[in-house]
Amino acid sequence: MRRFLLIGALAVLLGGCGVRPSGVITTGEAPTGVAPGVTLYFVTEDGALAPQLRETGRLGTIPEALALLLDASPQDAGLHTEIEAHGVTRVVADTEPGLIILRLPLADYELTPRGIDQIVCTTLGVAIQRGEPRTTRVRTTFTLPTPASDPLRTCPLTGS
Amino acid sequence: MSLRLRLVTAFVLVTVLGAAAAAWASVTSASAALVTAAQQQLTAAVAAQISAIAPELTFPPDQDALDRLRAAVGPDTLVTYADLTSENGTINTFDLATVRASMRDTHRLAAQRVDGPWLLIGAPVVTTAPDGSRTPSGLEVYAARDLGPVDRQIDGLARDAARTAALALPLSALLALAAAGSVLRPVRRLRDTARRLAAGDLTARTVPRGADELTDLTVTINEMAGALQTMQADARRFAADVSHELRTPLATLTAVVDVLAATAGALEPDARESAQMAITEVGRLTRLVEDLVEVSRFDAGTAALRTEETDLVDMVRDCLRARGWTGEVELIAPSPVRTRADRRRLDVIVANLVGNALRHGRPPVRVRVAATAAHALIEVTDAGPGLPPDVLPHVFARFWKRDPARSRTPGSGLGLSIARENARLHGGDLTAADAGGGARFTLSLPLGTEDR
Repeated sequence: MRRFLLIGALAVLLGGCGVRPSGVITTGEAPTGVAPGVTLYFVTEDGALAPQLRETGRLGTIPEALALLLDASPQDAGLHTEIEAHGVTRVVADTEPGLIILRLPLADYELTPRGIDQIVCTTLGVAIQRGEPRTTRVRTTFTLPTPASDPLRTCPLTGS
Repeated sequence: MSLRLRLVTAFVLVTVLGAAAAAWASVTSASAALVTAAQQQLTAAVAAQISAIAPELTFPPDQDALDRLRAAVGPDTLVTYADLTSENGTINTFDLATVRASMRDTHRLAAQRVDGPWLLIGAPVVTTAPDGSRTPSGLEVYAARDLGPVDRQIDGLARDAARTAALALPLSALLALAAAGSVLRPVRRLRDTARRLAAGDLTARTVPRGADELTDLTVTINEMAGALQTMQADARRFAADVSHELRTPLATLTAVVDVLAATAGALEPDARESAQMAITEVGRLTRLVEDLVEVSRFDAGTAALRTEETDLVDMVRDCLRARGWTGEVELIAPSPVRTRADRRRLDVIVANLVGNALRHGRPPVRVRVAATAAHALIEVTDAGPGLPPDVLPHVFARFWKRDPARSRTPGSGLGLSIARENARLHGGDLTAADAGGGARFTLSLPLGTEDR
């Protein structure tokens, strides 16, 4: 009787070890980042922001999206860009948790505040599509020191 | 099973079971934590790999995009989009139905442990709109990850725990032996005392120690022994008193019978027969009472020993001659054996032994007197029926008779008992044995009598 108890205890002890099969465990957010193209933001005639999808076949990175924006002219009638184009499109994007710092190849007089919104909305759009949280903020820095480099910006269109 | 074994077994069992239960609990929780951590890490790694390459993939994907994604996620991976698939490794040997159902249902990462052990991970890739709304992209990634290393880690933990639990075994056995010893030592002392009591030593006692149940038992046994001692003393005092009280009337009776004996010749034959019977019975009664008085003296410890330098051969010869047995008994005594002894008491012993041999045994009755280095021996043998094993233990008991029907023998039933008491009073002993065709009684007396 005692012997059986002892053997039973040992069996439980050894049987309780190891990795055992389980049911399905739902563990986390699905990965994201696939998109048929990149969304750029332009300005309408009455001064509002408007998204426009460029079908590049993939989402790409923030510098790629901004390079497209800085070099682009809107394809739809009634839209225009408020960023002065001068051929230099290389943007550096540094990412910190919850914050993206853009180093733009522009001086602040080369674009309007709406132009800054175009850049911020395009940047945040790509960031969110790549899976960044909607609370991410953007700081735009320019080639010349300016107070416009200081604020943490959000996109007025999407509210994000 | 002895009490010690039972105690030790129970103690060891309890300890080892306790240690095993503790080890089991800790191994279980540790292994659960290990498994959870491993599957979170593996799932997160797959998701991170997909997230890293997803923005670079053309969408909707072609076969090339699927292959790139699969390569990025690693081995044992399956990527599907609509009719397109890309897979490598062992992923096609697993049943993915459960994981697929869950991830299509929740649009979240799904994982499942299967035998092997393996972790199946299902990752649905979603498309996020710029405003943050998420929709399934139709792209699905499945990966199988080996949980073998975690399994081995857990096995190692279990082995360590089992070893620790096993370590408790010898330790608990030692402790149990110590505990059992402390319980059983008083029990052993009590047993020894009980044995001495059973052997007739009513002075045996155990000193009670401590204040536990065994101490209570010890006190009770001591009280029992005390009560027995009192009862025995009372019984002996009563016998002594009765014998003394009988002596005076018996003396008178003996005197009367003596007168009767002197005049018996003048009586009628019938009356003479009755008188003769009375004379014989009074004689027996007198002997019985004298024996009883003698026994009482031994019991009371008041029997005195008057020793003198004695030649045992002479003593035995005198004894036989005084009783007229010289013709019937063969005395074998090669040389004189001298020692200090009480002649009267030795005479009682030898007379009793030889008398018994002549009465109950058959000739030839031999008395051998000899000496060893330390003892003088007087050996009385006969060629009678001998002493069977069932009789031997009782021959020295008081009033014990071999044949209950033969109650009217001339002896008092106290003779051998008195003989042995006399031998012991000398510091010697009297023993009985079956000589194989006769009984043999051996009286041994110490020779170094000066020391006594």
